Amino acid sequence: MTDTPMTSVTAPPPPVSGRNPMASVLIHAALIAASIAMIYPLLWMVSASIRPEDEIFSSTSLLPSSVDFSSYIRGWFGLDISFGRFFWNSLVVSVLTVTGNVMACSLAAYAFARLRFKGRNFWFAIMLGTLMIPYHVTLIPQYVLFLNLGWVDTYLPLVVPKFLASDAFFIFLMVQFFRGIPRELDEAAMMDGCSPWRIYWKIMLPLSLPVLATAAIFSFIWTWDDFFGPLIYLNDMNNYTIQLGLRTFVDSSSTSDWGGLFAMSTLSLVPVFFFFLFFQRLLIEGIATTGMKR
Amino acid sequence: MRGTFGRAFQQEEEQVMLRVSRRNFIAGGAAFLSLSTTGAGGGTSFAADTRLRLLWWGSQARADRTNKVSQLFQTKNAGTTVNGEFLGWTDYWPRLATQVAGRNAPDIIQMDYRYIVEYAQRGALAPLESYMPAKLQIDDFDKTQIDGGSVNGHFYGVSLGANAATTVLNVSAFEQAGVPLPTQATTWEEFARMGAEITKAGKRKGMYGIADGSVVEPLLENWLRQRGKALYTAEGKIAFDHNDASEWFEMWSKFRQAGACVPPDVQALDKNDIETNTVSLARSAAAFAHSNQFVGYQAINKDKLGLTNHPRIAADSKGGHYRKPSMFFSVSAQSKAIDQAVAYINFFIKDPEAALVLGVERGIPESAATREVIASKLDAQGKVALDYVTGLGDLAGALPPPPPAGAGEAELALRNVAEQVGFGQLSAADGGKLLAEEISRIVSRG
Amino acid sequence: MNTATHASAADIAVERHQSVRARGRLARLWASNAPGYLFLLPWLLGFFGLTLGPALVSLYLSFTDFDLIRAPQWTGAANYVRIATADPKFAAAMQVTLTYVVLSVPFKLTFALLVAIALNRGVKGLTFYRAIFYLPSLLGGSVAIAVLWRQLFAGDGLVNAALSQFGIEGPSWISHPNYSIYTLVALSVWQFGSPMIIFLAGLRQIPTDMYEAASLDGASKFRQFYKITLPLLTPVIFFNAVVQTIDAFKAFTPAFIISGGTGGPINSTLFYTLYLYQEAFGNFRMGYASALAWILVVIIAIFTAFSFLTSRYWVHYDD
Repeated sequence: MTDTPMTSVTAPPPPVSGRNPMASVLIHAALIAASIAMIYPLLWMVSASIRPEDEIFSSTSLLPSSVDFSSYIRGWFGLDISFGRFFWNSLVVSVLTVTGNVMACSLAAYAFARLRFKGRNFWFAIMLGTLMIPYHVTLIPQYVLFLNLGWVDTYLPLVVPKFLASDAFFIFLMVQFFRGIPRELDEAAMMDGCSPWRIYWKIMLPLSLPVLATAAIFSFIWTWDDFFGPLIYLNDMNNYTIQLGLRTFVDSSSTSDWGGLFAMSTLSLVPVFFFFLFFQRLLIEGIATTGMKR
Repeated sequence: MRGTFGRAFQQEEEQVMLRVSRRNFIAGGAAFLSLSTTGAGGGTSFAADTRLRLLWWGSQARADRTNKVSQLFQTKNAGTTVNGEFLGWTDYWPRLATQVAGRNAPDIIQMDYRYIVEYAQRGALAPLESYMPAKLQIDDFDKTQIDGGSVNGHFYGVSLGANAATTVLNVSAFEQAGVPLPTQATTWEEFARMGAEITKAGKRKGMYGIADGSVVEPLLENWLRQRGKALYTAEGKIAFDHNDASEWFEMWSKFRQAGACVPPDVQALDKNDIETNTVSLARSAAAFAHSNQFVGYQAINKDKLGLTNHPRIAADSKGGHYRKPSMFFSVSAQSKAIDQAVAYINFFIKDPEAALVLGVERGIPESAATREVIASKLDAQGKVALDYVTGLGDLAGALPPPPPAGAGEAELALRNVAEQVGFGQLSAADGGKLLAEEISRIVSRG
Repeated sequence: MNTATHASAADIAVERHQSVRARGRLARLWASNAPGYLFLLPWLLGFFGLTLGPALVSLYLSFTDFDLIRAPQWTGAANYVRIATADPKFAAAMQVTLTYVVLSVPFKLTFALLVAIALNRGVKGLTFYRAIFYLPSLLGGSVAIAVLWRQLFAGDGLVNAALSQFGIEGPSWISHPNYSIYTLVALSVWQFGSPMIIFLAGLRQIPTDMYEAASLDGASKFRQFYKITLPLLTPVIFFNAVVQTIDAFKAFTPAFIISGGTGGPINSTLFYTLYLYQEAFGNFRMGYASALAWILVVIIAIFTAFSFLTSRYWVHYDD
């Protein structure tokens, strides 16, 4: 997708490409070169998924000696549970996580960014503090807690905390962006008798689309990629997420299905990639395109 | 059915861990937790139907075989259901540790020789000697293999098969370089000469003769055993001294200088798993592994591979090999169904139908009768492994006692010190001193 | 005391009756604080219900000897004393982690900011490039990364192949104790997608009319960047700096997959949390690992507090 006329009008400085063809060529050359460095791993992974297993590790060439798509079929159907099931499970967990994070974190962030209340700084510091504890040491007490709640082997330990804004990263992120929204807007609304809820709902959220989209993208991708949480909390293979499914291809002590691993890894990137493409469009809207006067 | 087990297990008598954490949760203001623990009780009964949870590490191939055996077991034992879960080796241990710590351990646990002491001496495993010989029929096992599953006089682990440390050879690379393959009689000196020749022949770009084995613990153990020493005593103390260790490092320093083995920065690519072994990376023509991994090595290697024993320290040396239980089944001390778990394990190692399904995938079966059942039905790579382990002859000696708590940390220490010597940060003599010191410290801390 | 209660104190002074006065105070207290706490309610529930308990347990465990299986034994400050006096691996891990933080955070942020600015302008195919540049971050900590990084940075890898064009014969970067940490820094910089996206979102929030006005005044591009973009972006820069620093201190996955969990060669990639993980799950010393964790929390907290203290001098908020 190229820039729409609307955004190129509103994009900060006028487009370089429109002015100087030479500069444009240079910029694209640089970007393409960088893109190759970025896309190389994907190419390698695709190549590993279609090449004979016995040259994955010993060959440094990108081109396989022969092409064989059988590892896609083996990977998809080779485990007890079809890989489609893992895709579905990951999708459920990721979508719930995105919903929970965006809703709960934006509420808390609004409180921290705009509302005055006693103890605000204290709670803010505590909130940041929760970002600092390495999860390995809270893992076991948390496991015991969820076990007591009867939540182990369900998605609840992975999802419920998100609806309770457990991810301080997103709160902090949203706070920073909310604070960048001109205060006159909500002050004016307050004069008109708007409740904090209305201000949050009618002013903050609509003006914060870029950061909400950012939070949605990260939530989705990080949940999709998360491995340790599912490893600890999901036992039944029917409940496995993609990352757990992928890991069952590999046993470093005996045999591994490397072709299947790389084939399914490649496929597992498809949904995240499209999610990213879709939501990053929201990044180009927001306050800059609303023509809001400061 | 989700969470049934969690709820059932949490009713267990006052558990220390739970009590401790509960107290803290309350202190933290989360009083609702204690409410939920008493409230969630409910009347889950095990009387009618027993569910066994079984956790193991391994590949899908292993899972297929295991699940088939579970099916067989269920058809012959109505009223017992077996729920299997499996993970790769790396992921297995944190999950097991978490479940054991949370008092939600699976009934049957696949256990490794390295960790059986850690889990057994802390009371996580149920002693099984009272089930022998009636319910656990392992009377035709080697006595030493039973000892291998015993800790402090109690029997905790039923061996599912044996393997042995081995030297993996890239047969094609040897042939290409015109170097004859090592035999059972080959000494270290000869082996190093072969390695240097392969390196010098330079038939393959970037390929050296042999892996730098100074970091490989089973190889060091083999070498020590040939000198009449061992890694650990039966009491769990260090069983070699700094002179042994220095000599070990000295030997490898010589090999390194002679170009017989890979340089240290190539060896450091090896993360102690199959796919980063220098043979798999095509950086050496020989390396060190375990016999049951042969299938895995061959799968990712284009060249024809072979197995041989570790070299002798002298032509008349007895060799330092032993048949090692490649893995055990243990029963969790927290299990509510130890009887059924033992019945399952017994079926797993004894039933001829099960034996045919399992093959040598977990190692060579301990029971002679079982070995006979499967011998004729093995595939080519299974045969290579079986022939290797049974063909060790007088090269194989007695099984050493299970390594003490801290052995995992000690292995990492060997790797660390050997690398310091390899990269030239320490002399072989100082490396020997440091290693002996570190390992003594680690195993005494436990 | 905040301004709201000061104001109410002035109002209240007018009131005669004590009871009315008290009720008024309460009502005002409620009115001024309730909305904040209501919006904070989900987080507070989560904090008290799910986060605080486990955190306190781990704090308690840090004063015990806890092997995951048997009941924890209270040992007082023994773990902390050992860390401070008799643990060479702690020092090694700390040094590795600090190196990683100091190198990876500035490089990654600078890179992310530059790319974000380049991709914010009206370059054709912008969304395409953005997606491509985010790709490495999509891979996260997958096994593929471990293999790939070896293919790039091993002795026979691509990097050395490129260097040999200039007659340089490089070592096996990834497995040499002197260089391995830098390959992990490179990995971190290469996965710059997240801060890039956050910078982009920040850039989009800058009102365009400010640039228009500046252009009319004849301000150069550089001046516009320096006078408009940078100041208005400071909240986001601040956020990225704080969060990336915390993340770098806690980094685990890269070292785990690249070194196979050993932290080698010779502890050169022994990240702090990797050491902590080894202690907790490899060596059955959860009490000790918890003590390590809380020391890390304190160190990160000091860094963060310092960042917040300095932020008032350079971070520009609209409020």
